Amino acid sequence: MLARDEADQILTRVREAGAEGDLIIDQGQALSLKAKDGELEEHKVTSSQVFGLRVIKDGRVGTAYSEAADPESLQALVQQALQNASYAAVEPNEKILPNTAQLKTDDALLCPDDTASIDAKIDLALEIEARLASKPKVKNVPYNGVQDGLGERQLFSTAGLSALSRSRSTACFAYALLEEGENNAMEGLGQVSRQFSELQASRLVDSVYQNALDMLAGKEIASGRYDVMFDAEMLPSLFQVFAMMFSGKSAKDGVNPMRDKIGSMIADPRLTLRDNPLATTGFGYALFDDEGTPTQNLNLIEEGQLTSLVHNSMTGSHFGLQSTGHGTRGPRSTLGVGLHQLELVGGDAEQTELTAGRTVLITDLTGMHSGANPISGEFSFGASGFLCEDGERVQAVRGITVAGNFYDMLSRIDLIGAEQHWNWERSALMPSIRFSDVSISG
Amino acid sequence: MLELNTAETVIDHGLSLGADFAEVFVERSLTSAVNTLSSQVQAVESGIDFGIGLRLVFGAKVLYGYTNKTAADELKRIMIELAAKDQRDPRLGLVAFDFSSPEERHPATRTLSLDADVESKVAYLLASDSAARAASNLISQTRGMCRQKEQHVEIFNSEGCHTRDVRNYVRATLTAIAADGQEQATGMWSDGGLLGWEIREHVDPKKTGDEAARQAVVNLGAKACPSGRMPVVIGNGFGGVIFHEACGHLLETTSVAKKASVFHDKMGEMIANEAVSAVDDGTMVNEWGSINIDDEGMETQRTQLIKEGRLTSFLVDRMGAEQTGFDRTGSGRRESYKYAPASRMRNTFIEPGDADFDDMIGSIDRGIFAAQMGGGSVQPGTGEFNFAVTEGYYVEDGKIQYPVKAATLISTGPAVLKEISMVGRDFSLACGMCGSVSGAVPTSVGQATLKVDDILVGGQG
Repeated sequence: MLARDEADQILTRVREAGAEGDLIIDQGQALSLKAKDGELEEHKVTSSQVFGLRVIKDGRVGTAYSEAADPESLQALVQQALQNASYAAVEPNEKILPNTAQLKTDDALLCPDDTASIDAKIDLALEIEARLASKPKVKNVPYNGVQDGLGERQLFSTAGLSALSRSRSTACFAYALLEEGENNAMEGLGQVSRQFSELQASRLVDSVYQNALDMLAGKEIASGRYDVMFDAEMLPSLFQVFAMMFSGKSAKDGVNPMRDKIGSMIADPRLTLRDNPLATTGFGYALFDDEGTPTQNLNLIEEGQLTSLVHNSMTGSHFGLQSTGHGTRGPRSTLGVGLHQLELVGGDAEQTELTAGRTVLITDLTGMHSGANPISGEFSFGASGFLCEDGERVQAVRGITVAGNFYDMLSRIDLIGAEQHWNWERSALMPSIRFSDVSISG
Repeated sequence: MLELNTAETVIDHGLSLGADFAEVFVERSLTSAVNTLSSQVQAVESGIDFGIGLRLVFGAKVLYGYTNKTAADELKRIMIELAAKDQRDPRLGLVAFDFSSPEERHPATRTLSLDADVESKVAYLLASDSAARAASNLISQTRGMCRQKEQHVEIFNSEGCHTRDVRNYVRATLTAIAADGQEQATGMWSDGGLLGWEIREHVDPKKTGDEAARQAVVNLGAKACPSGRMPVVIGNGFGGVIFHEACGHLLETTSVAKKASVFHDKMGEMIANEAVSAVDDGTMVNEWGSINIDDEGMETQRTQLIKEGRLTSFLVDRMGAEQTGFDRTGSGRRESYKYAPASRMRNTFIEPGDADFDDMIGSIDRGIFAAQMGGGSVQPGTGEFNFAVTEGYYVEDGKIQYPVKAATLISTGPAVLKEISMVGRDFSLACGMCGSVSGAVPTSVGQATLKVDDILVGGQG
């Protein structure tokens, strides 16, 4: 581990050059296991480190990174960052914060001791594959694995900030390919925890198998406009694809379509959405952001009204506001903004009301990286799921597309469920939403 | 980048643990990015990637690790940790390294280690920005980006392979945003290749700006796209993403060996319309998806995948060859030392035919002309794929009618390959980044304009 003394040496060189700056040091260790035909197919052990420096000189910002830690490379890191700054336009709002705090995340909460042996982790990888492979109609389990990682980020600044965040995560996942006659289907799911002992192979296996089995008989439905619900995995993904709508950085850059709509109604008045970084049960939990600014729970949409964008110190300053604690910066990236973990507040619709009549439940969307335009809100995705009558799944549906304008859909909400659910990655907590009049092609 | 005796010591140690195969992959890459926004420089970034990937193979099992440290003891420590559950008596001895330098097929002159050429890149991007804004007063914003990378790799393995290569990548992109009241739409133009900043001599900022602006303005006035099954004419260049998703991924032994590809048992069979011949070619000079050697040290080649509809080859890496029995095709690729290699595409395309564009459009009663495509994805096990139309037009009674927005095309690989009935002559390639098990690698997609007789179009109309 690079000691504070060595980080100080880099930042001293920055000061000597008449600049200010901050240094991120990311280090990580990870394990990845994959099984095939009852044997371990892949066993990956990795350790990594990367240094990322940001300097500000005469109002100009430059960044550079290095994975090499030899003295020459770290010397070059400073020179490169300063040289890069010399080409940049003056950015009067970007500053190294006068923050002298000494911050550290809670290891007991985020980094509990891992007493599980490598044998136990291998056994879990083999068990997941074997249990799925033994089930009727399963052709194979082409993608599966157990992963374990410990990540650490240190942040130091010329102002005197020292911030250490460290977290552990352990996860398992599986995709099963089922075949029956001419039909086939592949479905997958995962689990994540900070403790290996909390992973449950049987629950994962049963869910993956049932999802794939249900989808085997899937077929298209008639094109038309349907009432649509997205499941606990897909609804957060949809919000994530259009997360730019909350970005103060995109607003500053003139590309966020919501940039002039603070205080305006942009959604159904029953919809309240907040970013909740201080909810400890989620994996987006964060005590401070990548500038060392303390985080806060923040309402983004309150009863349909856009109440805030998310800001770092630079975008906040640009709009005459404070940072909201949403600054992001990695060793390889410049200062940006990002959401921590979204919470959509539960509504008042019970399950029977939500699912009354005919609905389409979307359980998978494909092409989300390419089929959406966050600037216009337009999207068109491949989809699969179930046609439901009064909550009963009457037909598995696949080979369809769902299309619309996400920003318009926020105002076409029929019902919001009372019960909230985490997605499996535990990055968002949301109830079901029933959207009306959504275009589906089959 | 790594002492020869260190590599020898480490590989010998891997074999002493009982491995059937041991490999050391060393990488040092220089990177540079110049970004513009609002007609000025937004950021200039640079960096050094460095690390060593270690691969041990025991039968069908791959053990992989990486580190940023070069000491032999650290590399041996990782091997011991990796092989802890598999250690056995040695099976093989080290074959002495036989250094070979690959043929330099893709020359580069203005490389990153010589000069980052920041001023020239800034000038190019700002000229493109000016051109876009001059093309239409509806252009409200542009975002420019020039990325360059100089990747040095050195590969050693227990079969005596020792080789080095340098790959120079460059890519320049301009995104334009058109706005009219509350409506906004985007357009984008990109050039790139396996060469240095001498690409500047072949790219025209006016064309870049004009094209990005033209797409944005067309999309601003686009109507909702009709939906349902219909014929689609797909434009050349990046339109080739249809073959990349519908077929290319399904021919990688990464999927074939697991029987997770619908084509795993179709070698020699007709899997496409006889109008379709397809190739994956790493030899094309200075093209974005080209290479001199793959990331397992094998010389690159041109691989005929489909000939007149018949499946003629898979894309085969070393593990894929072991598991399927097919010969390696120089297709073992990885994003960086952080990934074990896997069979991946290079420049993958449908070969040109002789159909006329007007005949393709003229044969459609009701359908779509997809002039520009975005990205897509595929589920290899079922062959179900999707990809996005970023510039499309409604076609009726054999004539292009009006622009349409936000459409996705979905189908399955086996189905769509049989629906490609006409292939034109206007062949071109386009750059893309392909993500899969061994990370994101530069690949080109390509085709001439072609007609798919029947595919599901997902629009809002």
